[in-house]
Amino acid sequence: MSEEFNAETETFMGVPRKKIPWYPIINYSKCNYCMECDKFCPHKVYERRENEEKKLIIKNPYNCVVFCRACAKTCAPDALLFPDKREITKLIKQIRAESE
Amino acid sequence: MGEKICILPCNGLDKSLGVIARQLALEIIKKNPTIELICPVLLNTGDQIYENLLKESKIYVIDGCMTRCATKLIDKKGLQIKNRIFVPDITKKYNIKPGKELQLEDETFKRIEGIASDIIESSKESEGLEIPQALKSEEIEYFKVKMDKFKFRVPKQGYFFNENDCWIKLQGNKGLLGITDYLQTKAGDIMLVEFPELGLELEQFDEAGTFESTKTVLPLISPCSGKITALNKVLENAPELINQDPYGKGWFVELELKNFEEEKELLLNGSAYFELMKKKLEKDQKERERGDEK
Repeated sequence: MSEEFNAETETFMGVPRKKIPWYPIINYSKCNYCMECDKFCPHKVYERRENEEKKLIIKNPYNCVVFCRACAKTCAPDALLFPDKREITKLIKQIRAESE
Repeated sequence: MGEKICILPCNGLDKSLGVIARQLALEIIKKNPTIELICPVLLNTGDQIYENLLKESKIYVIDGCMTRCATKLIDKKGLQIKNRIFVPDITKKYNIKPGKELQLEDETFKRIEGIASDIIESSKESEGLEIPQALKSEEIEYFKVKMDKFKFRVPKQGYFFNENDCWIKLQGNKGLLGITDYLQTKAGDIMLVEFPELGLELEQFDEAGTFESTKTVLPLISPCSGKITALNKVLENAPELINQDPYGKGWFVELELKNFEEEKELLLNGSAYFELMKKKLEKDQKERERGDEK
């Protein structure tokens, strides 16, 4: 089973995880492929692609723990971007209100 | 306090962040010559030259990256770290772009001078802080569940939780923050805590510090917004209290609350968090079973 499997049914604060766009985006112009983020993340968010131009990709974005940015601390060239926390909180509130 | 301080930086020859760690240590001892510098390479040879200094001093380490060589050297000796400076935090806070080269730019040199002064100042401020009375864990009533050899508890009343497994316990217009039994068990033996700065203003779900175990480094995600008004400095010398008493003596920081009534809407009470935690435990068990099958 792929790591994506859980994300299909997972919720966060009562909102389907797939409706919350919280995951890192790699800025490839800065990334030096040190792979520190992948070594750190226990949730298999990243995947290495040794023989491709982009040697690291976001394989399982919805495995990322909402509001966690711990991997970004490992990134010396500051190549990992996360969404604005306030925007995400607003979105979660909005989806919760709609489903009430 | 009058107690000596010694400082052990990263060797600074591997990554640009390491170069900053090394330079920062040099600036700190230049500004305060009573602080003694420890060479990581010499220490690692097992040389006894630092034996007494390490035992008699408060140990500061400066880690350049997540490899955390300086921290590991001190852990290996079974000694306690008083203050850990993590360069990626510094570069983010002071908006320094480390670059890919091992040579620092002139501008970065100047910035490091200022950071060294800030570190020396904050080491003075952290002495003699007034700490709010820790929670009396024996008075807490818990929901309990057992999974394998571990017992997991969740306080029945007075605590609010976010889904990142962190709690807040209200005390008037303030709240104490910590992590849950579930998170401390998952993290394993906690070796080190990193506090946010006193007075820092947090938004709801901002990071209110990090803690480091033998397995990982994790953030404490603040359930509420507010201003940091106290730090549980006891954890610097006894981080294991988070494992032993996560809802009591293992509290992490105190927050002056800004908007609790509205933010409460996104938090769980004890019984709701207990249900969520049980689901997390079941999921973890299924993942372990899948792992065993492979």
